[in-house]
Amino acid sequence: MSEIALLDRRWITRGVQRASAGRFALWLAPWFVLLFLGAYAAGLCFFYGLNQTNMDNRFAFGLWIFADLSIIAMGAGAFFTGFLVYILKQQDLKPVLNSAVVVGFICYSGAVAVLMVDVGQPLRAWFTFWYPNTHSMLTEVTFCISCYLLVLILEYIPLLLKNRQLRKIPAFLVFEHQFHKLVPGLAGVGAFLSFFHQGSLGGLYGVLRGRPFAYRQGLAIWPSTFFLFILSALAVGPSFLMLVVATAEKVTGKQLVQNSVYRKLGFISGVLLALYVAAKAIDTYIWLNITSPAVGFGPRDFYSYWPLSSLFLFIATVPLGLLPAILMIVPVTARKRGCLLCGAVLASGGVLLNRFVMTVQTLALPTLSFDSFLKYTPSWQEVATFGGVIAYGVIVYSLSYRYLPLFAARKGADPNASQD
Amino acid sequence: MLPRTDGFHWTATHLIFLSLFFAALLIIVSTLLSGIWRTVADFRKHRANSVCWRETFQELPENERHCRHELAGRVASRLCDNAFDCRTCRNYAHFAILPATWRNGVGVPYSDRLLYHRGHTWVHPELDGTFSVGLDEFANRLIGRPDSVQLPEVCAELESQGIAWSMSRNGHHIRVRAPLTGTVIATGGPDQDFYLKVLPHGKPNLRHLLNGPEVPGWLASEIERLQRQIAAPGAPHCLPDGGTLMPNLMDAEPQADWDNVLASTFLDM
Repeated sequence: MSEIALLDRRWITRGVQRASAGRFALWLAPWFVLLFLGAYAAGLCFFYGLNQTNMDNRFAFGLWIFADLSIIAMGAGAFFTGFLVYILKQQDLKPVLNSAVVVGFICYSGAVAVLMVDVGQPLRAWFTFWYPNTHSMLTEVTFCISCYLLVLILEYIPLLLKNRQLRKIPAFLVFEHQFHKLVPGLAGVGAFLSFFHQGSLGGLYGVLRGRPFAYRQGLAIWPSTFFLFILSALAVGPSFLMLVVATAEKVTGKQLVQNSVYRKLGFISGVLLALYVAAKAIDTYIWLNITSPAVGFGPRDFYSYWPLSSLFLFIATVPLGLLPAILMIVPVTARKRGCLLCGAVLASGGVLLNRFVMTVQTLALPTLSFDSFLKYTPSWQEVATFGGVIAYGVIVYSLSYRYLPLFAARKGADPNASQD
Repeated sequence: MLPRTDGFHWTATHLIFLSLFFAALLIIVSTLLSGIWRTVADFRKHRANSVCWRETFQELPENERHCRHELAGRVASRLCDNAFDCRTCRNYAHFAILPATWRNGVGVPYSDRLLYHRGHTWVHPELDGTFSVGLDEFANRLIGRPDSVQLPEVCAELESQGIAWSMSRNGHHIRVRAPLTGTVIATGGPDQDFYLKVLPHGKPNLRHLLNGPEVPGWLASEIERLQRQIAAPGAPHCLPDGGTLMPNLMDAEPQADWDNVLASTFLDM
């Protein structure tokens, strides 16, 4: 065994088999290329300014905000799984808890990184904390995301300290042991913070009175989109977690969690998705028949621009909403891994489409008589930065899988299974 | 954000929003500080070693956590749930009175006069009240002569299950666990017949150390484990039909996963 291979082996959890160091490096190489390209593009945006993007004063939200909204919704699996395991004591979901924390950490840190590029002046990011506009949903989002990222970092640290070499340092091992006892409290805070910022991300569209496509009525200060975003994030979080674990299983060629865990995640996701579709249908009905006509807009004003036609509404509701809910709830289909994962893919696609519609279609539609339908295509810098975040996620997850006990070994299982 | 800052207003919105934010932040920071505080307290109250060992023990695979009574043939199967600390085991007395089975020809010599620790050290009570500690024959034959040994200083305090000394062999770092608690009064090494001489604090309770029929049972299971671990990948499991453990196995089988073998042998991670 070469020196590098031996060194690498020492950092891998004892008793598990991982791919050779060379094979792992080969897997990471293209992702690092994408990461460096993304870092270069972000560097251009920092150095030259936001003129590197195709956004402007009118089209101020683009690919990056779509990415933020999407990956934050996908990352909801972290707080929701933590809530289910620590608060509701659903111990059968414990095998995916570590993975959920890593996914959440990647999603939120990635989202914050993109936001830093998007605001254009990251050195002034502290302004939002020191001079908060408490009437803005974005302030609440910023505060909650920042705090929740801290929570995720703190939840990730004990996992990091479980690394085979790090845990040989007694102080780290004792801290990991003690901190693990405190994590349920953090899970509670995380659920509170997530609940509000997931909602406020939707709420910030719902309060846009000047954008009839997004504007909604609601409860007290919260428009209906506040609750719909929470519900959709809760629904898609477990689905996305399932997809990540299934992808890891496919790549590594190992069964990492039991089928019952998939079934449970799928059922939770399906039920919440069904609730979301029902709530969304009622919301759409009220919006198209009451809220929107009251300000002089009808369905034709929203859905007569190709390709953002009413087909989008149908696709988001039925094939990407109702269908996955059925696939994941009905026992006949939920028993089949393929159907379950198909449901998870469709559910995730539905939430992605919803976030795209709320971000891009809202801004593209004309709101004044002299306005025209706007078109927006992201610049390569925007795409590369987005790609960089994806690469960052894959790299962090891959490293975590290799060097941390991401999935608890099944009792009595032979650790010397096939190599991934 | 704070009073006297530009933009701050004494309004209900400001106060509720910022109070919630600060409350969440306070919980996060206090959780972190509490974790650090508890860690420091564990070190101050000498609980850290026990915590480290119990954490390590929990991560040991099932086949490395067999109860001594199973090894002695007193029960068919039993996993230890008390971190190999028979001194505080509530079931010890219940199982200890059951008849044991002696195993012969385990493939590695052992002595009836020695007490054995599961991390492959032995303990010998001396007439002067001290205890000699050394590496057992299984470990000696496995690693051969270590390339280097880092022994504790004389007067250093040892804690049972803590790290007593460390060695290196063929680039592998080996940490050997202390079989008992006490003060180091002399150090030996691979060239002497002991590694440490330890003066315990008061009359030591050594019930956690193996003796009698437990020793051959344990060594036999260790040899079985070793055979599984050094077998070529994909090779079928073979039943041993006698023979003895050859000396200097690390040099004889350099391709084996020694990182894993040594961790299992010395109860490390």
